Amino acid sequence: MAVKMDPIHQFELKPLVSFGHIGNQEIAFTQSALYMFSAVGIIALITIVATANRSVVPGRMQSMAEIFYDFIGSTLRQSAGHGSERFMPLIFSLFMFVLVLNMLGMIPYAFAVTSHIIVTFALALLVIGTVIVYGFMAHGTGFLKVFVPSGVPGWLMPMIVAIEIVSFISRPISLAVRLFANVLAGHIALKIFAGFVPALLAAGAWGIISPLPLALSIAVTALEFLVAGLQAYVFATLASIYLSDALHPGH
Amino acid sequence: MRLSTEFIAGVIAGGILGWMFDHYLGTKPWGMIVLLMLGFATGIYNVMRVSGSLPRAPTKNRDP
Repeated sequence: MAVKMDPIHQFELKPLVSFGHIGNQEIAFTQSALYMFSAVGIIALITIVATANRSVVPGRMQSMAEIFYDFIGSTLRQSAGHGSERFMPLIFSLFMFVLVLNMLGMIPYAFAVTSHIIVTFALALLVIGTVIVYGFMAHGTGFLKVFVPSGVPGWLMPMIVAIEIVSFISRPISLAVRLFANVLAGHIALKIFAGFVPALLAAGAWGIISPLPLALSIAVTALEFLVAGLQAYVFATLASIYLSDALHPGH
Repeated sequence: MRLSTEFIAGVIAGGILGWMFDHYLGTKPWGMIVLLMLGFATGIYNVMRVSGSLPRAPTKNRDP
């Protein structure tokens, strides 16, 4: 059968332009990097080009950009509170980048960049790095109060502080794993359910029930669009919750 | 999905920390044992915090 049934095959990196080797590792401009560049291009198109003429009554593209901006602005204000406006560029860029990459990944035959854990982990490290650097810059050693929650009895304190430190280290991991696992699992499920259709059609009389996985894969596609949007939102919300620790340490 | 990643992240963070302790301080296997258990506790703590079963500390610094 000519149909490719391997559900992992779609996540393979393909080098487009090779720059040579460092050790045994090939340094190349992959299709993943190409997708990231085109995502940046799309975001620039939505935000810069669409709002260029700054009309009071916004056009279609401009109102879309304004809706995104207002949405992220209110999310950030709710979860990070006072003084969070300075992180608006970071959170807005992160949200748009993840959203556009997720949505690009939903196009048939396209590559889902966020299904690679190294990409999501780099984004998560960027967030946590900002939290640590800004926290120490703004509060000095007072930032360490983030590890000491209030209202804990004294005898429990050493245990809770140790748990809080491990919990802080687990944050970039959970941020990265959540996005990566959702996208990866969704694309694999989609591929498997869609792969049942030609497999059943090729199996003679079993072809009668082939509309069943077809309907299921349509439903999973709709679900994946929901997940793509939701995970970008969750990423931005959690990033702003973590940033609120840097703004107001000591809960 | 949200809760399970919180839990798994806690255990993984504990495991990585424990491995690093052992690797750099030569305390094999005690760092791994202690920090993996601490990571387990952290995972449960994370899940409790996310699901809201911990009593929320008063957020006095947080302006609306």
